[in-house]
Amino acid sequence: MIRLENVSKMYGSELPAVRDASFDVPKGEFVFLVGPSGSGKSTLLRLMNRQERPERGNVWVAGRNINEMANSQIPYLRRTMGNVFQDYKLLPNKTVFENVAFALEVIGKPKHVIGQQVPQVLDLVGLAGKEDRFPHQLSGGEQQRVSIARAFVNRPLILLADEPTGNLDPATGEGIMGLLDAINRTGTTIVMATHDHRVVNAMRRRVIQLDRGVIVRDQERGVYE
Amino acid sequence: MIQRLSYAFRETIASFRRNVTLSVAAVITSAVSLLLVGTTFLIQRAFDNLLVQWRGDVGMIVFVRPDVAPEALTFIKQNLESQPNVIDVKKLEYLDKTQSFAEAQRVFAGDPTTLSLLSIETIPSQFKVVPKTTDPELVRSLANQYRTLPGVAGVSLAEDEFDVISTLSGFVRTVTIGMSLVLLTVAVILIWNTIRTAIFARRREIEVMKLVGATDWFIRVPFILEGLIQGLAGAIVSCGGLWALNRAWTSGVAGFKAGTGVSSLVVPGSYVNGIMIALLVIGAVAGGVGSGVASSKFLDV
Repeated sequence: MIRLENVSKMYGSELPAVRDASFDVPKGEFVFLVGPSGSGKSTLLRLMNRQERPERGNVWVAGRNINEMANSQIPYLRRTMGNVFQDYKLLPNKTVFENVAFALEVIGKPKHVIGQQVPQVLDLVGLAGKEDRFPHQLSGGEQQRVSIARAFVNRPLILLADEPTGNLDPATGEGIMGLLDAINRTGTTIVMATHDHRVVNAMRRRVIQLDRGVIVRDQERGVYE
Repeated sequence: MIQRLSYAFRETIASFRRNVTLSVAAVITSAVSLLLVGTTFLIQRAFDNLLVQWRGDVGMIVFVRPDVAPEALTFIKQNLESQPNVIDVKKLEYLDKTQSFAEAQRVFAGDPTTLSLLSIETIPSQFKVVPKTTDPELVRSLANQYRTLPGVAGVSLAEDEFDVISTLSGFVRTVTIGMSLVLLTVAVILIWNTIRTAIFARRREIEVMKLVGATDWFIRVPFILEGLIQGLAGAIVSCGGLWALNRAWTSGVAGFKAGTGVSSLVVPGSYVNGIMIALLVIGAVAGGVGSGVASSKFLDV
């Protein structure tokens, strides 16, 4: 589903953020990218949805080399991917329903589809009944659920999550991981960057460990070391 | 499609509301600059009217000394009539001293000093000559020939008057076009800046839109539309201003005495309508260009 071939990314003249990274994520897999801050986890995610382009190497998503994709094709690439962030990136002036509907609206989904899919996905993430709340009226965990609902409402092939439990207490984080696990079971490939030991150790999924931009470990059913 | 259009319009209106002060400033600036553009057109047209009317009318005036002998006057008249190929003899008109004095009262209505120096005894009488030829050199050589005739006080050519008017109109045109270009540039920059601010205010939203796969144009259109509407709103205001200006001008000119040439400065309504349409187009294009440049530069999509 995702393949990196000798990918290097540099910001300015500093040390490379990612150096010669290669790995393959098959469809339906759940992968953790782990490592300390600044080790290149977020950069790897940004390379996967072409928010960044590598200086060297190729990134393949769903069988297509996204570095060679025309700019006009990028929106369609991104429609096959959902994004979840540590800071949720919800729109503060929109309700829960509107935040999720927004993702469908801007890709031109008709109203009746939106009216059908949004309540469904809100139900899935456990927010039924809170459609009309605004983000500031929700707890951190609930806001992250809205963000996951928004990422998943279009049933993407891939979900990219950047520290989704970073701002949450352990119990709430566990709930979010349960949700991501459930989404993974529907066949969605998930790549999640984190430095949260607990969630990695509890899930026992594939772990790719980074250190200063270099992959130092790639282990099936791994733990955080 | 309809859903997308309604989305674009909703976003445009919301953005306009968020940014009222800047938007209003952009609209006013484009209105003022477009009003100046329109006024330039009007003034130009008025000058053209003036020139056209004079050209169609008298081309040369032969002034005759007040103390001229009757034989000399007859000689001048015969001389003029002997040139039917160059002069439209049928339109040849002689104003005697009384008529000339009456005319002078109108010509110098705004100049009491000159008027006080004139009297029926001292004023030259005049032949108003309508040339048939369009060759100014021929008319000029004819004028030089008449100047030498006994009893002729002087010959004035409409062409010389045109030169003054042409120079004046050229000057006015340069100044007004220059000023309106500067103001139009200011308007475009202001619209550009308004859109930049609007984009900045919505950067989170735009980031989310990009991540969920909205196309570039879907993100851009509301901003471009916003700039276009600002330009168009300015143009509508300037059309109102131009209409009021022209109305005040027309009724003001109507107050002048006839025959002073000022009446030809009135611009017909159909021409004003044409200018207004041009202003609407210029306003929309200027707004679209300003916002289009801003949205492609700052959206980074």
